[in-house]
Amino acid sequence: MEASYGFANKFRDQVLRCSSCGFCRAICPLFGLTKRPAFNARGKMLVLREVMDGSIDLNDELIETLFQCTTCAGCAEQCPSGVNVPDIIKQVRKDMVFVGSCHPVFIGMNQILQEHTNIYGESEPEDFERERNRSAQYVYFIGCVGSYREDEPTMATLDLLDHFDVDYTLIDEVCCSGVLDDVGYQINKDLAQKNIDLVLATGAKTVITGCPFCSRTFNNKTQYDRLKKEKVKVIHISQFLKDFDPGVKTDKLVTYHDPCDLGRHCGIYEEPREIIRKIAPNFVEMRHNRANALCCGAGGGVRGAYPKTSIAMARRRLEEVGEIGAEVLLTECNSCVHNLDNAKLRAQKLEFCTTSQFINQLL
Amino acid sequence: MEASIKQHLEEIVGPENYTDDLIDLIAYSKDASEHKHRPEAAVWPIDTNQVSEILKLATKERFPVVPRGAGTSLAGLAVPQQGGVILDMARMDKILEITIEDRLAVVQSGVVYADLERALAPDGFFFPPDPASGAVCTLGGNVATNAGGIKGAKYGTTKDYVLALEVVLPDGRILHTGSKCMKSVSGYDLTKLFVGSEGTLGVVTEITLKINPKPPLTSTSMATFEDLEDAGRAISEIMYSGILPSSLEVVDQQTLQAINENTDMGLPEVEALLVAETDGYTREETEFQMAKITKVFEKNNATSIRRSENEKEAEALWAARKSAYGVAARINNNLFVEDLSIPMSKVPEMLRAISDLAKKYDLKIPTVGHAGDGNLHPVISFDGTNSDEVKRVEKATKELFEKVIDLGGTLTGEHGIGLAKAPFMHLEHDDISMDVMRSIKRLFDPNNILNPGKMGLEE
Repeated sequence: MEASYGFANKFRDQVLRCSSCGFCRAICPLFGLTKRPAFNARGKMLVLREVMDGSIDLNDELIETLFQCTTCAGCAEQCPSGVNVPDIIKQVRKDMVFVGSCHPVFIGMNQILQEHTNIYGESEPEDFERERNRSAQYVYFIGCVGSYREDEPTMATLDLLDHFDVDYTLIDEVCCSGVLDDVGYQINKDLAQKNIDLVLATGAKTVITGCPFCSRTFNNKTQYDRLKKEKVKVIHISQFLKDFDPGVKTDKLVTYHDPCDLGRHCGIYEEPREIIRKIAPNFVEMRHNRANALCCGAGGGVRGAYPKTSIAMARRRLEEVGEIGAEVLLTECNSCVHNLDNAKLRAQKLEFCTTSQFINQLL
Repeated sequence: MEASIKQHLEEIVGPENYTDDLIDLIAYSKDASEHKHRPEAAVWPIDTNQVSEILKLATKERFPVVPRGAGTSLAGLAVPQQGGVILDMARMDKILEITIEDRLAVVQSGVVYADLERALAPDGFFFPPDPASGAVCTLGGNVATNAGGIKGAKYGTTKDYVLALEVVLPDGRILHTGSKCMKSVSGYDLTKLFVGSEGTLGVVTEITLKINPKPPLTSTSMATFEDLEDAGRAISEIMYSGILPSSLEVVDQQTLQAINENTDMGLPEVEALLVAETDGYTREETEFQMAKITKVFEKNNATSIRRSENEKEAEALWAARKSAYGVAARINNNLFVEDLSIPMSKVPEMLRAISDLAKKYDLKIPTVGHAGDGNLHPVISFDGTNSDEVKRVEKATKELFEKVIDLGGTLTGEHGIGLAKAPFMHLEHDDISMDVMRSIKRLFDPNNILNPGKMGLEE
């Protein structure tokens, strides 16, 4: 008998279409680290196939594989059959929550965002000494990581916006709550509502986000549709900065890490490189780049739920920086910054920051 | 898994390298074929001694052991048909030695093909077989299946490069075959016996490979033929023209139609499309060879011929061939990527027969192949939930292989027999041949613990 789960209703055809070729092993960060086939997309699809045909149930035994996935979409990029694994994983996590089998850390995340306005459950956000909630041409939306964990990249970006005389304002932002949709829950409508109201109150027609995940959430999730209706555009800082010429240069050997949320999920590969090339003529690509970039290991709730594995994945990414001998590693996502920074070994002599931070230093 | 065996296995590999978790048993139940069966446990050995201890235990306790690389087999070689323990070699992934002076590389069997390719590139060398799954497949798997790829016509297959092996026998003894010398006729060729033995005789733990200098330049051309026989004549003429193309690939009409139905590539739906590549050290060298090939295309009534001026154009000419698998994988739920070889002159007749079978059984069988060595891959794409269609697929498959043998061909060029072709072994191999193969199996593995049920060896 076939069990009726949301994922089976929505994605049955895709789960069956996985031909088990195993090509998804190539850039799955979790498989690359563990060499455990149960963790890569083929293993996950085989598990789901057995759930669909009623051989096994969705239960706690499956948590370790279904919740241990950064939803980086590296597998989908390799898949000859076109299976969209991240979407399937996100749906099956909702089904798991529904039947009461969920990773405890994800249960906690949901609780925190019921009670608090940021993913860390902290009461006081960093004050970036900037005006908030005023009328302006742009809203700069920082995101939780940039507000509570990585304030230096945020400060640098704000300084850079000032340097370019951009008319922007901060708002009393709350978590976009997009992460809940990834870990088995729903976007918190109240939080979304608050962000939308605050943005609209400024009269700004463009929101610039420091976090590619927030940008994706605003652009793609129905809870934020009102922004579209009000003709408010949401872009990531890298898309905004590409039109500026900072007029500074470095001789250092520079490379760039594509964040999954910006690259594979939004197709933004060239904009960040455009500005980096302006400032760093000695630019070199890592072995895995653009659509084949290795994930830093932070996404899909993995950093919270499986911190050791997450750091170990980040370390593998940093090994690729070592391979090409780059002196500077730039990226465009505070979450990647946070995870890669935690993974960096003291012995590894590497400057590592966001492009905005790096430009700011050169200025 | 019995508690005492589990305890022993954990003692051998450490608890972190043993699993009988449900998710692992499911993940190991399948490879890229349509076959499926769960093992009872899996282990990740990290050295040869562990493999030896595991096999000693398996012989003593009589449980099946199925060695596994990346599990990309299209014929069920890695499926544990009789349960037992999966021996996943992925954590034995060290490149032990690259000696350019002696033109060889020594690797553990879990090294991924692409990782060796990357390690050899700075010296301008390569291990040529180039299987389609090169980004993920392991060299141990390449040896076990005698893997080939699109460079077969000029560079041969895995067997042409394996100089020596370290193999753990089912009783746990560690056998060293071959030598590091380019030439050796010292005793029986035990190395070749293990190449293509599908993990039925021993577990390969270390491989010594001959490596080749990689010509840095290539020229590419593509030709279309309204008539299959013209394409066939062109293939034969190229192969006896004195030129050895580094690739000569064929794409049939059903593939072109399938690609057009599923992409916006807008390919000409001719009876056959050929892609040829020549390689060399100077542009003059690659172009000289290509000029000869395009002359053969012209002589045999090619309706269009395109030559690439640069790498980007070459990519465009390869697009039809390289997108074939992806398209076939998307048009239906289930996929038999078949594999057969026929004498090169029989390529057109075989393609015609495949097309007739598709019509007869109302199936889609797009076919691509390595025309330069007569190795074709008909891809039978079907819906496994449609029992009528499954029956038609089974009938067509049987007739396909009968035709292959009629034409003097062989059941498999590079994928192996495994489970998928086991029922057809008798078509190609007579009783004497099967008897000798079974004797060899008994000699090495008298208790039938290693990858049992494969190659049609069980009576």
